[in-house]
Amino acid sequence: MNMITRLGAAASVLAVAAGTATPASAAGTTAGSTITNNVTVNFQVGGVSQTSVSASNSFTVDRKVNFTVAEDGSATTQVSPGQLAAVTAFVVTNTSNAPLDFALAATNRSGGTAEHGGTDNFDVSNLRLYQDTNNNGSYDSGTDTLITYLDQVAADASIRVFVLADVPLGRSTGDVAGVRLTGTASEATAAGSLGATVTQTAGANTAGVDTVFADTNAGGNTARDGIHFDEDDYTIFAANLTATKTSRVISDPLNGTTNPKLIPGAVVEYCISVANAAGSASATNVAISDVLPAQTAYDASFGVKVNGTVTSGTCNADGAIAGSHASGTVSGTIPSIVAGDTRTVLFRVTIN
Amino acid sequence: MRFLLILFALLLPASAMAQSQVALNSQVFVERTTTDSNGAARTSLEPPGVVTPGDRLVFVLSYRNNAAAPATDFVVTNPIPESVVFAGTESAGSVLSVDGGQSWGALAALSVRNADGSSRPAALADVTHIRWRIAEPIPAGGGGELRFRGIVK
Repeated sequence: MNMITRLGAAASVLAVAAGTATPASAAGTTAGSTITNNVTVNFQVGGVSQTSVSASNSFTVDRKVNFTVAEDGSATTQVSPGQLAAVTAFVVTNTSNAPLDFALAATNRSGGTAEHGGTDNFDVSNLRLYQDTNNNGSYDSGTDTLITYLDQVAADASIRVFVLADVPLGRSTGDVAGVRLTGTASEATAAGSLGATVTQTAGANTAGVDTVFADTNAGGNTARDGIHFDEDDYTIFAANLTATKTSRVISDPLNGTTNPKLIPGAVVEYCISVANAAGSASATNVAISDVLPAQTAYDASFGVKVNGTVTSGTCNADGAIAGSHASGTVSGTIPSIVAGDTRTVLFRVTIN
Repeated sequence: MRFLLILFALLLPASAMAQSQVALNSQVFVERTTTDSNGAARTSLEPPGVVTPGDRLVFVLSYRNNAAAPATDFVVTNPIPESVVFAGTESAGSVLSVDGGQSWGALAALSVRNADGSSRPAALADVTHIRWRIAEPIPAGGGGELRFRGIVK
């Protein structure tokens, strides 16, 4: 090469910009394509145009295996204790220049800081994967398909994968469970079955299509291993209920309602108040049941008032008659208690 | 135009070219940047072994006048391969085409017509052909080398 005269050694302005030209698509030229360069020279000898001379050379584009697994969205998934089939979403994108299958695995994170900053302190169970078959961005039970791998993902194609998991009972607001979706590049040998794990071409370049791993080390991944993962997390958002039972004397047979005393025949009002702490999830269908003391008799004329309010720690005489009494037990269901609110169940008894 | 050039290439096998008055050779290299033991970046040109999208290519065109007399009006024309984005040249004196070889000029002087009829300045990615017109006669036995760069799409 040295003996051939270089016509221009200085890099031109164009050459400076060489690094900025980008391929039209992420995946690029399909693996196995042949790139052929053709060059032609026209010239004269002795003032006479000669037959033009051409030359060409070719090479084969090899397979660049590159893909990403990325959380779809940027927020944690809020869940309730005991929630079944809580959904998180990921997107698998094939940026290789060839179609691939991807083996998928969903796993629990064990401790440490989860994807959205919280500390992973519990595990979800029954992890399973669904493909967003109708590609609408949300999990549709009965429509989206249960999968263990992605089949025949075309170059530059993205497929959304939902991770579904069951949340254990007994967790409190702010508890976090991290989950990880790991994809492994696999051969797209045949439709309908997961191909063998892709391996890099070892040793020297071959004349055929070689395979080169190009996946990155983003987000804690190992670069160029044909495996890519991302994490997401579930955060518990629970109701935090506290029940308090208070009583007051309404009247007695001798004093009436003026300074009544707790003597036999006195009417006593019980108030069961249920408070939901600020910053908690709304609690719905809060069922209250209370066994009456043996020395008392239920006051059927007052009934059981449900969903009353509390002002400055004192139960108000409100609420609607909605509860019931049977066999010495009073029952009432408060429809909803939002965070920071307190609702009551009121009933009266007579002291025997 | 491109089809014609491929036809020429097919019609002129290596043996025929060897007998021609001008020997022409097209080579391609992959430019790889590695870091040596001292931490310095080292760029090398390698044969196109493993080539994947995004790789930087250097096309090297070498020519030699095998005739007994000088060659004049020497014009080297190279269409940019379909799967390659043109990325500049290291050899001075080139003109470019962004319309399949119909019109030629420096990149800054070329424009591309948009779908809506307006036009915009041509970019490297628009280049379809590169051509060198070598002004000086090439003496008998003389030769040279021309280079341009591309990126695998």
